Amino acid sequence: MALRTGLLALLVVLGGTAAAGEYDFSIPQAETKPYTIGGRLEGRYIYHRLNEDSARYRLNYYRDAPGSDTDEWRALLELSGSYRQGIFQANLLTHHQFVDADETDEWDNEIYEGYASLAPTAQLTLDAGKKQILWGKGYAWNPAGFLNRPKDPDDPALNLEGRPLLGLDLIRSFTAGRLANIGLTGLLLPAIDDWGNEDLGEEGDLNAALKLYLLWYDTDLDFIYFDGPEQPRSFGFDFAKNLAENIEVHGELAFQEDVPHVVLDAAGNVRYTREDQTSWLAGVRYLNAIDTTFIVEYYHNGGGYDRSEVEDFFAYQEAAFDRWEATGDPSSMQRADQVTKPYYQQRNYGKDYGYLKISQKEPFDILYFNPWVAAAVNLQDLSFNLQPGMTWTAVTNFEFNFRVAIPVGPSNTEFGEKPDALRPEIWVRYYF
Amino acid sequence: MKSKIVIAAFYLLVIVMTPMSGFSEPLTGAQILEQVDNNLQPGDLEMYRKIINIEPDGKKKEFVLWFLKKDRDKVVTLFVSPASEEGRATLRLGDNMWLYIPNVGKPIRITSMQSVVGGVFNNADIMRLDYSVEYDVTGLSEDQGQHFLELKAKTGAVAYDRLKMWVLKKELVPTRIDCHAATGMLIKTLHFKEVKDIGDGVVRPAVMETDSPLYKGFRSIMISANLKKRSLPDEVFTLNYLPRVKDLR
Repeated sequence: MALRTGLLALLVVLGGTAAAGEYDFSIPQAETKPYTIGGRLEGRYIYHRLNEDSARYRLNYYRDAPGSDTDEWRALLELSGSYRQGIFQANLLTHHQFVDADETDEWDNEIYEGYASLAPTAQLTLDAGKKQILWGKGYAWNPAGFLNRPKDPDDPALNLEGRPLLGLDLIRSFTAGRLANIGLTGLLLPAIDDWGNEDLGEEGDLNAALKLYLLWYDTDLDFIYFDGPEQPRSFGFDFAKNLAENIEVHGELAFQEDVPHVVLDAAGNVRYTREDQTSWLAGVRYLNAIDTTFIVEYYHNGGGYDRSEVEDFFAYQEAAFDRWEATGDPSSMQRADQVTKPYYQQRNYGKDYGYLKISQKEPFDILYFNPWVAAAVNLQDLSFNLQPGMTWTAVTNFEFNFRVAIPVGPSNTEFGEKPDALRPEIWVRYYF
Repeated sequence: MKSKIVIAAFYLLVIVMTPMSGFSEPLTGAQILEQVDNNLQPGDLEMYRKIINIEPDGKKKEFVLWFLKKDRDKVVTLFVSPASEEGRATLRLGDNMWLYIPNVGKPIRITSMQSVVGGVFNNADIMRLDYSVEYDVTGLSEDQGQHFLELKAKTGAVAYDRLKMWVLKKELVPTRIDCHAATGMLIKTLHFKEVKDIGDGVVRPAVMETDSPLYKGFRSIMISANLKKRSLPDEVFTLNYLPRVKDLR
């Protein structure tokens, strides 16, 4: 009897222990250190099925054509670290990329971010150094993000290079009324060769930017100002609001004064003008009951080119290529390479665009798997870039990505003249 | 005789009044809900939350986040693990929610039905406000020896239109919550377990487990620990501060 009671007691104790052990309540990450060190490794393979008749292919490869296809490998290491002492903090993000492509085998080493911050109160922060800036609410484009680096909307985790700046950030919260928060960000951005902001002017130029943020009636509002000795005076506005638990709307408006504008005619004559430009964007993000997210945006590019200007642009390039083929004299192509830069330097040089992205969270109960399809459409020539892709993050700290860019359109259209006919891309990231 | 009647009436009055004075007024549904809020998230605080997504084959993925709450409608979370999520931060001010991803560099608006971690928990579960901020009590009864509350969302911006909540009578903490869409469809069930001191003397369920008919066989668990009462300035709960919130840990 005593033995049975003892065994029963032991079972109860063991059972109790098992139940208590079902959950691990320890959280070692709660221990903090004054410093952080981390980073990520990335391997990327891109295959290019080339469109040998496209304007851009001819411009890139008229001397040394790679044929119908080519590929490239990229290896990337990014290291980040920070150190904190009281109100002081230092941050560093370095970027090291090796590209092995048809024409290049090279390393690119950059300091993407390196800045110090002082935050004496929650209301005030001062920054000095190189820091990333990304303003605007748009998903695919940011017309009001005058200082933004070009981004890849279908790979949002990509780090972007920062800008050298001196910055001040002021925040104020209000407990009563419909105005909940105000944030004021002021930036001074010197142009310093080999360090950054070369695109913002000559060495020594000092540019200034201001952003006033309001959370008003549950709506994000930003008022943006940017000016510099060689920069057009620019005014921006953006907003974002949740209309329901699954619907978000956003928009941007940008007005830039006296912007240099270059137009090519079909004969290759270059017309330089200065004009005021207005760009805007409106978008919505909607999540349905089966976890499908739809992002739709319309973008009007004030600095873009309309249908007839784009046709002239391609007619000129075709004539230049014909001359090169007929004479073997590269000067026509060299000139074309120079004068088409104002067009090709813009990610999208057309006037009006639509963007649609549909992504499905974890279909067929495959956890951490998100397939998507995106399309950017030039609404004037109706050419478009169709891009299906997927992300899989089931293994802790690993991210597997795949996408295929398929430009679609006839000759003399933006996407019909892309150098790639098909561009599958696969990349793996490891975070540490 | 008259005095006897007066004395008898007095005793009768005492007898009638005694049960009333011996027991307090029963709590209303709204009072129970307020107590539930106070017991789950008492005032301004910080704590850690471990989220574990468990797949039908037993495979697990774990996230750790630091959770800050102020007043009844301000919440910040910061992912501290794994490395792939580290530095991601979310902010909730009432019905407004934002996500900050360090690489992306700017906070973007998100909605309550999205999920920043995958699995069964959505943003509304992770950045939950006090129930009494989002819901009105429409029914109170007793079920299985517990208070049974029926709740209706105050606005259309709330993730779940209706909740059914079972509450322990003594501890006034929930044991189970069924979350329904406006159509009546059951979206998920939350099970509250392991009532214990999770820090600073706060005794509440340390474990919230969830399953969903929409994710058959999948489970997500949220473990709360290392709670400390901490009051931070309102400015910490703003969009401009979100990229710097990691400095407060």
